[in-house]
Amino acid sequence: MAKYYDIDDILVEEEFVPVLFHKTANGVTIDPSAETNCAEQGAKVEVPFWLAHELHMRQAVSINLPACFDQKTRLEVQADAAYVDLRSRCSYFYEFGCKLEPLVTDRTLGILLSTAFKIRYKEALTKVYTAAHITASKYLSFLTKEETNLYEAAHLSMTAFRKWRAGGPRLERALILGRKRKDSN
Amino acid sequence: MAGQTDPHISLFSPQEIEFMAEDELVEIVPNMNMEQLNFISGDFGRFIPQIPTKVPLWLAVALKRRGKCTFRPPGWMSVDNLTQILEAERESQSTFQALPFSYVEIARLLIDHARDDIPDMFMVRSLVEDIRDVRLHKLETNLGSFQGTSAVKISNVSAMEVNIVRPFVRRALEAFYKHDKPEADVDRDTRSSRQQREANNEPRRPLRQR
Repeated sequence: MAKYYDIDDILVEEEFVPVLFHKTANGVTIDPSAETNCAEQGAKVEVPFWLAHELHMRQAVSINLPACFDQKTRLEVQADAAYVDLRSRCSYFYEFGCKLEPLVTDRTLGILLSTAFKIRYKEALTKVYTAAHITASKYLSFLTKEETNLYEAAHLSMTAFRKWRAGGPRLERALILGRKRKDSN
Repeated sequence: MAGQTDPHISLFSPQEIEFMAEDELVEIVPNMNMEQLNFISGDFGRFIPQIPTKVPLWLAVALKRRGKCTFRPPGWMSVDNLTQILEAERESQSTFQALPFSYVEIARLLIDHARDDIPDMFMVRSLVEDIRDVRLHKLETNLGSFQGTSAVKISNVSAMEVNIVRPFVRRALEAFYKHDKPEADVDRDTRSSRQQREANNEPRRPLRQR
């Protein structure tokens, strides 16, 4: 509840996860393949994370790993984590993984996330302080939301410093001074 | 969580850092007579021609602009000292040489406003720039060696250098912290039920730790 107003947190929970129903749920239309309005026991359905989480707490479903953490992704991360296109898989790769981690039985998920982040962090570091912004644009499209924020933060401070070093007007006019006074009558 | 929407959290702009550096004291030689100045930060003066006195950098710059004083460049800004520092910076990959906390800003202000008072101004300028570039590069290399969250201790980093890497480092450490935590509690196995484990019997392959 601490992040109730956090838009990113809300969007993370909108990601779909495959779940397996252990109990029959009546009167719901979440299973598109069912003939009636109910999810049978043993039905495999994709539901948003927030719903899966609630159902999981009530022992009604078990959660499987979504496609963005599948074997193929893992192999790619092992091969060269820095150039895996994580954004197309899931733009909230890390946050989603962290939320999912306590709910699934796969113990390696946490390691996958931290390994991927460590390697990609180094790549972002070298890119942001050395490469020109234009050459990095292709690389930028691979980054997840969190990594993009990280990159942008570093890039902004670096450009601000370069601008300062190059010199310029020391005093800037406050925005409010430029405005014309409005007639209040 | 490190996924804030707003990445604009560099706490200070370079201009603000420069503003703070202007409180540093520098030595000037006035060429006019003036009474003592009483400021909140202290009393400065009185100003007698040819008698050196210490004033804040901003005041020194203001006096210099009016042609009322000449600067005495600080001791570290000599060509000899800077050459030595540059050598030392290049030699060791992990430690930083001791320089004033706001050396980047002071050097720039002095070079901008008092170029006639600095002996070998062009040499000094290029040396300061070289030192700054070497140190920045070294700082970035050091950041690359982060392995998860531990206390990070890099001493003798100057104000401007800290400010450049601050937003990046803050976020990166937050993310490291977040990902390191789950590895700590291993005994979550007990919580998940038997049924769930059967449902998810895909082959498990531990990732190689680098």
